[in-house]
Amino acid sequence: MAVTSLAPGIPRSTLGDAWRTFRTAVRLGWAIQSNWSDPFLFAVYTIIKPLAAAMILVVMFWVVTGGRGTAFLQFLIVGSALWNVVLGVVAGMVQSILEDRERYRMMKYVVVTPSSLFAFLLGRSAARVLVALIAVALTLVVGVVFLGVRLQPDLVLFIPATILGLLAVNAIGLFMAGWCLQLRQEAWSYPEAIAGALYLVSGAIFPIDVLPSILHPIAFAMPTTWWLEASRRGLLGHGSPGVLGDLGDGQVLVYLAITTAIAVLLALAAFGWFMRRARRAGLLDMTTGS
Amino acid sequence: MTAAGTGTTASARQAAEWSTERVIRSNLRAVMGRAYPRVIGLTREPSWLFFEIFLPFLAVSAFVFVYRALEAPEEYIGFVVIGGAMAAFWLNVVWMMAAQFYWEKDQGNLELYFTAPMHLMSVLAGMAIGGLVMTSSRALAVIAIGSILYGVSFDIQQPWLLAGVFLLTMIPLYGLGMLFASLFLLWGREAFHLAQLLQEPIYFLGGVNFPIGAIGPLAGLVVATLPLAVGLDAMRQLVFAGSDVAGVLPVAAEIAILAVMAVVFLVGARLALGYLETLARREGRLTLRWQ
Repeated sequence: MAVTSLAPGIPRSTLGDAWRTFRTAVRLGWAIQSNWSDPFLFAVYTIIKPLAAAMILVVMFWVVTGGRGTAFLQFLIVGSALWNVVLGVVAGMVQSILEDRERYRMMKYVVVTPSSLFAFLLGRSAARVLVALIAVALTLVVGVVFLGVRLQPDLVLFIPATILGLLAVNAIGLFMAGWCLQLRQEAWSYPEAIAGALYLVSGAIFPIDVLPSILHPIAFAMPTTWWLEASRRGLLGHGSPGVLGDLGDGQVLVYLAITTAIAVLLALAAFGWFMRRARRAGLLDMTTGS
Repeated sequence: MTAAGTGTTASARQAAEWSTERVIRSNLRAVMGRAYPRVIGLTREPSWLFFEIFLPFLAVSAFVFVYRALEAPEEYIGFVVIGGAMAAFWLNVVWMMAAQFYWEKDQGNLELYFTAPMHLMSVLAGMAIGGLVMTSSRALAVIAIGSILYGVSFDIQQPWLLAGVFLLTMIPLYGLGMLFASLFLLWGREAFHLAQLLQEPIYFLGGVNFPIGAIGPLAGLVVATLPLAVGLDAMRQLVFAGSDVAGVLPVAAEIAILAVMAVVFLVGARLALGYLETLARREGRLTLRWQ
């Protein structure tokens, strides 16, 4: 059934309502994310998966270089660690919205209540983001303790880079969530596909110079490229090898701010349009069986 | 109920007494019936094909570019391409074999499987055959696109042996999937996390993106227990015969390990399934949704 607008007389939600929705959604998201499972197993899962992903890169590095050239190893570890955030946010938002529509069939109820869907969506995906942040911290700790990664934090660079980066990644997640609501089939695969494509063009684990030149404009247009570069500088004290490394810190931050602003504006506009279309077309309670 | 072929009503006991031929025929139909949606799905749902090829290709490409950035020898690029193709089979085993019974339970199909006059091994065999066909298209596409795009050159001197090793690898690999299918069902809600755990950590231990020998003494243990690792190591030795990178063991020894694994995992799957069936009938709980 199409849900097009609030009934007359029902007040719009306030900031307090949105905060209450967010808190409830966070608790719900955590319970679902951990699947009400054994906390020990969930902790193991949270720790081992990202570490294994980083260790694959470490062994690839060692097998080729014999352990020489630790600057590239540091580049790999930081990129691999930070990428967990992109996966967590994008997959978190999309899977939250799809699970609530397809599996738990709660989306239509959330929409017809005066609670804010935006706050609900952010809260529902917060658990995945938290798990992703734990994975980032653990990967960096293992890198520092066992692999000789030398962190030289520059908070003046790192803090704004993190704030802008999280905004950009959330914008991508929001766009994807709205987009996936429109799809009839295979919507579950889209976050993985988009995150995989971004992984490739953002220079997460290799300098973008290695990419075919046709992909360079796309790499430069992505806020994730600039976020990773700014974060590497903020954590390691130096940038990536290659063309990005030649830029100044200020330039990198400016490019990050510009691409993030564009991503946020586009995502908000697109999400609003996607939601209006979903209400009109009755997509909020559609089940695809996928 | 009518007795087969006679049209007359039989007692419940008589109706349950099937000839061996009928049992075999019925189970073969179950195998084909369960394989059918996976094989036919290839043509009915083109979007599957896109994601099945596109996603592993992205992952393979990322690792190829890492090796390019490290100026690694060209055979490493080939290792990644072959590893990416084999990882497709592993993903199929984890998500479409191991976790499948859990999902079937959620959809309400599992209780139908238990009550249908067929052995559950037939359902698992059907899933394995269908999955093998489906994933072969994905693996071949990854190898073809990867080879063309990244200029991988293969040095295959014993193609028949290579084909034999591939097929032999599939038996313990899908046998392990059959074993996991029962175990995942027993582990209930943890199944999703376990399936997640069986990805990156197994790619690391199985040497999907690098020669397995690179993980040191752990390689011996992995080769003795993980069919993906031992099969991949043997195939890499046969696909890149001229490469300087040695396998963990000679190909003949790895073939023997795969043969032993095939028997162990298939027997293990049969035993686990028997236990599961007993438990399902006795407690009536394993087939309930949301457990």
